[in-house]
Amino acid sequence: MRSVTLASVRAHAGRLVASCLAIVLAVAFVVATLVLNETTRSTVLTAAGAQYVGADAVVGTDDGSSLLDAVPTVSAVDGVAAVAPEWQTSVQAVLPGRTGAEFLLVGTAADDAALRWQRLADGALPDRAGEVAVSDRVTAEVGDVLQVVGVAPDGTGSTAEVTVTGVVDLGGDPEAGLYGRAWATPEQAQAWGAADPTELRIAGAPGTDPELLAAAVRDALPDEGITVRTGTEQAEVRAASMLGNATALAAVLLVFGTVAVVVAGLVIANTFAVLLAQRTRELALLRCVGATARQVRRSVLGEAALTGLAASLLGVGAGIGLAAVVSRLAEGVDSPVPLSGLSVPWPAVAAGLAVGVLTTLLAALAPARGATRVAPLAALRPTDPAPLHSRPGVLRLVLGLLLLLPGAALLVLGVLLPHVLVALPGGVLSFLGVVLLAQRAVPPVVRAAGGLVTRAGGVPARLAAGNATRNPGRTAATATALLIGVTLTTAMVVGTASTRASASAGLAAAYPADVVVEGLSGQLPGTLLPQLEGVDGVAGGTALRSAEVTGPDGQAWTASGVDAATAVPVLRSTVDTPLPDSGEVVVPEWQAEAWAVTDGDVVSLDGPAGSAPLRVQVAEESPLLLTGADLARLDPAAPVGQLWLRLADAEAGAQDAVVDAVTDTVGTAVGDAQVTGVVSLRRQMNEVLDVLLLVVTGLLGVAVVIALIGVGNTLALSVVERRQENGLLRAMGLTRRQLRGLLAWESVLVAGVAAVLGVVLGGVYGMAGTASVLGMAGEVVLAVPWLQVAAIVVVATVAGLLASVLPARCAVRTPPVAALAG
Amino acid sequence: MSAPVPVLTVPGEPPSSAAAVRAAGLTKTHGSGETAVHALAGVDVAFARGAFTAIMGPSGSGKSTLMHCLAGLDSATAGSVWLGDTELTSLRDDALTRLRRERIGFVFQSFNLLPVLDARENIVLPLQLAGRRPDPAWFDAVVARLGLRERLRHRPAELSGGQQQRVAVARALLPRPDVVFADEPTGNLDSRTGAEVLDLLRSSVRETGQTVVMVTHDPIAAAYADRVVLLADGRLAGEIDAPTADSVVSALRGLGA
Ligand SMILES: Nc1ncnc2c1ncn2[C@@H]1O[C@H](COP(=O)(O)OP(=O)(O)O)[C@@H](O)[C@H]1O
Ligand SMILES: [Mg+2]
Repeated sequence: MRSVTLASVRAHAGRLVASCLAIVLAVAFVVATLVLNETTRSTVLTAAGAQYVGADAVVGTDDGSSLLDAVPTVSAVDGVAAVAPEWQTSVQAVLPGRTGAEFLLVGTAADDAALRWQRLADGALPDRAGEVAVSDRVTAEVGDVLQVVGVAPDGTGSTAEVTVTGVVDLGGDPEAGLYGRAWATPEQAQAWGAADPTELRIAGAPGTDPELLAAAVRDALPDEGITVRTGTEQAEVRAASMLGNATALAAVLLVFGTVAVVVAGLVIANTFAVLLAQRTRELALLRCVGATARQVRRSVLGEAALTGLAASLLGVGAGIGLAAVVSRLAEGVDSPVPLSGLSVPWPAVAAGLAVGVLTTLLAALAPARGATRVAPLAALRPTDPAPLHSRPGVLRLVLGLLLLLPGAALLVLGVLLPHVLVALPGGVLSFLGVVLLAQRAVPPVVRAAGGLVTRAGGVPARLAAGNATRNPGRTAATATALLIGVTLTTAMVVGTASTRASASAGLAAAYPADVVVEGLSGQLPGTLLPQLEGVDGVAGGTALRSAEVTGPDGQAWTASGVDAATAVPVLRSTVDTPLPDSGEVVVPEWQAEAWAVTDGDVVSLDGPAGSAPLRVQVAEESPLLLTGADLARLDPAAPVGQLWLRLADAEAGAQDAVVDAVTDTVGTAVGDAQVTGVVSLRRQMNEVLDVLLLVVTGLLGVAVVIALIGVGNTLALSVVERRQENGLLRAMGLTRRQLRGLLAWESVLVAGVAAVLGVVLGGVYGMAGTASVLGMAGEVVLAVPWLQVAAIVVVATVAGLLASVLPARCAVRTPPVAALAG
Repeated sequence: MSAPVPVLTVPGEPPSSAAAVRAAGLTKTHGSGETAVHALAGVDVAFARGAFTAIMGPSGSGKSTLMHCLAGLDSATAGSVWLGDTELTSLRDDALTRLRRERIGFVFQSFNLLPVLDARENIVLPLQLAGRRPDPAWFDAVVARLGLRERLRHRPAELSGGQQQRVAVARALLPRPDVVFADEPTGNLDSRTGAEVLDLLRSSVRETGQTVVMVTHDPIAAAYADRVVLLADGRLAGEIDAPTADSVVSALRGLGA
């Protein structure tokens, strides 16, 4: 029988190409997803943890206390070659050609070369005071001179001219776009008021084991409040904090992996089933000439294993190649999704091979069993007209319900809790249930849809509707493959839209004002607001007065006065920043704790002009806020301390320009004001989501393409089976056009039904998924992008139409006489 | 047949002596060179309007090929075919297809009906493909004549072989085509149901002036026809007017069948 297996693979090479293609694409899909995941992870790790990966050990404190005293101790530890304390401060810098100052976070350029982690895009790191290197977000070039306002430890401000020596590439660091960064020598950082270091980075002597070094450092230091990690560990900790919490990251990876495997398995199963069905007669002939049922089964499975292995190998290669192309492209366009280089984890390769071979084998099992049941006589009959009725198994129904009902319940629970690790298995189980039940659900829907198109498409449509439900099992399998791809694509599209909406709402809640202008000295000229409102692109603004008030703890705090009437139109959200009513004070959570007050308590605040009892409203994060009138009662002379601006809705790039214009206007009017805008953050988030959506839908698009190959395959099979029938129709007067139409209708019916069902399911899964993932972090806003969803239906249906072109071509080429001859 | 037999008449169609379908120098060659098979080697034949003609001959003599060429199902290698005044050999596929559904009826030996359609739908299929509606009175008359009234909602799989052939005959007669071609219409039936079908074909000729051309290798079936055309090795090999089973058998024997 081995010779039969090999001969069979050879003889059907052409036909196997279709199924190989499906396996190659599916395996490539799995591998590319896994490789891209790993690449993203390692990119974030090296970017977000860049300052740590180069270090052998990192010492940190839990409470922010100084580590300066530990430096000599650590330096004395055996194997320690260099120690770099991290001095951090912030300055205001005026860039060349600009008038407004910009906030820069200043870090340390280590003295020791081994601990200089900054990746330079241009120039070099500073070697002396009066020099800085800046991040590429700061629009300065090597040689530029910045006016830097720093505040020395003793509180005296100073303005100095410093020269830019280098530009640092922070590519991939999720926080790179938040604010400008600069690096100076330890001395310069201290001159600008850097607090004592709370972090030491350590380089070991060449050949030192980081684990041992970290342990040695650990032993040399007091236990209390000090953490020692290896550089890699510390990088992972920071990357995890960057990427939200670590479980959420793991969950997301899990979702992608599962999705990839499920799609791959089902698509391969379907293609293989169709291919074996095409060969029923041939297998029966083998039985006729004396092959036992077992031999036939072994031959079929052997063929499957061979096909699966060859295609999987190709798939692994294609997957790595695809990931490399995607990552190269992403690097080229400076993608906000952190991707650089290529990390190929061996489990991805193993998973790809295993998925390919195992699913092909599993997929071949059922048809192989069917093949062994073929009566030898089947070979002698003329091509069987396709059976009009085949009964889907009861087992399938029961199993489908057993998966669907508990799965759906878990999914609902996962949404309600909300917890993604509950929703995820629920989603997978219920979807598997749906896939099994589709066998029963799809044919009636196709029949109903057939009733609809019959009215529109005349006789060919009516025949197509009949044909489409002739072999319900096959129609259901074909439709299911497409349904899976469409469901997942829709789920991604809806999920991304909902994530975007939720994140926008979250961003608006965290940063309710588009732009905040703050006077560093505590006051701004009263004329600044009207001036800024005059800037093109500024929609409106409100001024907050600020005054020193004494709290119940007897200490002085800065309170701001805001008028709801002018503030509400400016703010994008008041969820996290509630505005006070008259007689109320909004107190941030940490301060409420310090004052030991809760919602509804009354506190008395004292100002220069008197005191007022105020009802407390606790907010998660907020300045100390009173109404303007209440603040005036405490201090009638309170100056304007802060301006909140809202920008006209526009494209993010245009809004960036408005922020620059505001910064310059402020800089001209006031020397020491700080302008912060959330616009670039919002743009960055949108870019990340756009690219993520593009990559994922691109990958899922592959699944849809595989499914459409399946549609074409099934149709081709039908054309073969219905050769006589089509001949008869042609004899009866069906024109070639009408025959093409018949097949097109059949294909459109199946594809259209799959697309519509898939979109409905995908919408549900997308929303449930978003609700369970994001619900863990906060408020969820669900959004359905109707236009994109409609586009999915149209594309899938039209693609179904295209899938009928080749089989139809073959069908119309057969002259009616040849077809009638059987 | 105990049901009352309605009398079928076609109004306004005077009997004509002109041929309903005829062929001149019809040649059909399969393959080329050494392996060429001459299925038809120059056939000149005409079939009278309103007559029932049988084409007979040994197996492989070209009967089916002749019928396919006459019916516009197959293209001739040389020669020409006229359906009334229309030259078929010059028509393109679309025109030929339209001509088939409007002016020609078919009854095949087997696999006559579409399994997804019920009997009624199968009967009206050619008319529907042409975008026409059946004349209800004529439809009722045909269905009653063929005894199919109770079976109209049945799918082919639920019909006996004889019933299936009757549905096929009804389908062929409904559009009132210029010619009905039947290729071994009784080949798969037992002799009693076969006789029924032949009776129906003959009565459609007698009562409504339908032209019928039937291919058969069965002398008893041929005896139902008004005339028998004999074929051997792709050539005309004689004809018999008012045939009987005996005269057909002896003619065939003369051909060495
Ligand atoms: N497609 C074809 N290719 C080659 N030879 C054919 C083909 N169709 C028919 N023939 C040959 O043409 C001859 C006539 O066939 P046919 O018309 O079917 O005969 P009949 O119906 O009288 O038995 C036979 O010898 C047959 O083998
Ligand atoms: Mg024949």
